[in-house]
Amino acid sequence: MAKIIGGIGTSHVPSIGVALDKGLSETPDWKPFFDGYVAGKKWMAEAKPDIAVVIFNDHGNTFFLDRVPTFAVGVAENYNPVDEGWGARAIPSFEGAAGLSWHFVDKLVEKHFDPLVCREIEVDHGLQVPMELFFGRPEKWPVKIVPIWVNTIQYPIPTPQRCWEMGKVLREAIESFPGDERVVIMGTGGLSHQLQGSRAGFINREADQAWLDGIANDYERYRQMSREDYVEQFGSEGAELIMWLVMRAAMDSRVELKHKHYHAPASLTGAGMVVLENAA
Amino acid sequence: MADAATQIPETPLFDRARSIQGYKLNKMAMDLGKPENREAFKTDEDAYLARYSLTDEEVAAVKARDWHEMVRLGGNLFFILKISAIDPTPMTRIGAAQAGMEHDDFLRQRLGKAV
Ligand SMILES: [Fe+2]
Repeated sequence: MAKIIGGIGTSHVPSIGVALDKGLSETPDWKPFFDGYVAGKKWMAEAKPDIAVVIFNDHGNTFFLDRVPTFAVGVAENYNPVDEGWGARAIPSFEGAAGLSWHFVDKLVEKHFDPLVCREIEVDHGLQVPMELFFGRPEKWPVKIVPIWVNTIQYPIPTPQRCWEMGKVLREAIESFPGDERVVIMGTGGLSHQLQGSRAGFINREADQAWLDGIANDYERYRQMSREDYVEQFGSEGAELIMWLVMRAAMDSRVELKHKHYHAPASLTGAGMVVLENAA
Repeated sequence: MADAATQIPETPLFDRARSIQGYKLNKMAMDLGKPENREAFKTDEDAYLARYSLTDEEVAAVKARDWHEMVRLGGNLFFILKISAIDPTPMTRIGAAQAGMEHDDFLRQRLGKAV
């Protein structure tokens, strides 16, 4: 059966991609941010996953408001980067782990989730940036992907509790998938930021640090929080953090926090990551 | 959750009312994800905007690049951001406009930058 080898929580701020495109990663503004990912990248290289499950949200690039899936799962063989308005970025397309995707969809529906199932679809920075942060800029990505979209744009967005439950199904799907693939799960988004309204530019460094410390083994409060609590603590767009719960729920109840990094601001956002492993 | 917008100060959530109100404005912006539409916008902004039967208020807000007003009219930043791809505006300037602050004050006070 396939095996979960680790859980990643990470920001997916679009300006990280822009910084990489423009070669700004060594500038004073960006160096401290990228330096903190070196350990995570090294962990990934050593962990050698075959598949990355990436939980992220679209940002008005792939889905318009004509149809807004609360949860969507990609079952494609291949995913191209989408044109977000600046032209599609020059990064390799992503090969899909279609077998695991379909298996996950089967499990989801069995467990009374009703996802949108996407056979032909492009991916935005929400997936691209985490892949670049942990795999660099290879000519070909070393893993196949299972993309999971969570609506965090138009209300009602799903509850944190529902994200958690989805993570449980994800684990069951991976661990019942015939094969010996090594799977890493990446919950993405956040940390605190707000782009709209007069509270724009809101960053909550304290709450971000507490999140990065707590998501490993002190996560119960984050499971209990409402969507409003997330918005209040982390900003309207910081509520993306609910997507980390999908990853966290798919891991053991006790985990080892292998790596952690925080930097603020990256553009307008508190940014960072954790690398978790199930305690042996 | 439908009226969550009223519950958290200074934080307009993109709820039912905003989504309905801003639909055409956001659709116009969404379509800028296609190069041919960006070309049309650049060539003749009025003609491009006319395709979407926007209100006069909406047209004026887009033409003035009034980010605060576009959001007030139901625009969602993720869509209207595509306008800034055509007419380059840094995200921090858009943020400052949302907050109603001078750019440097915004960088200092909100983002904690030394400027
Ligand atoms: Fe995001």
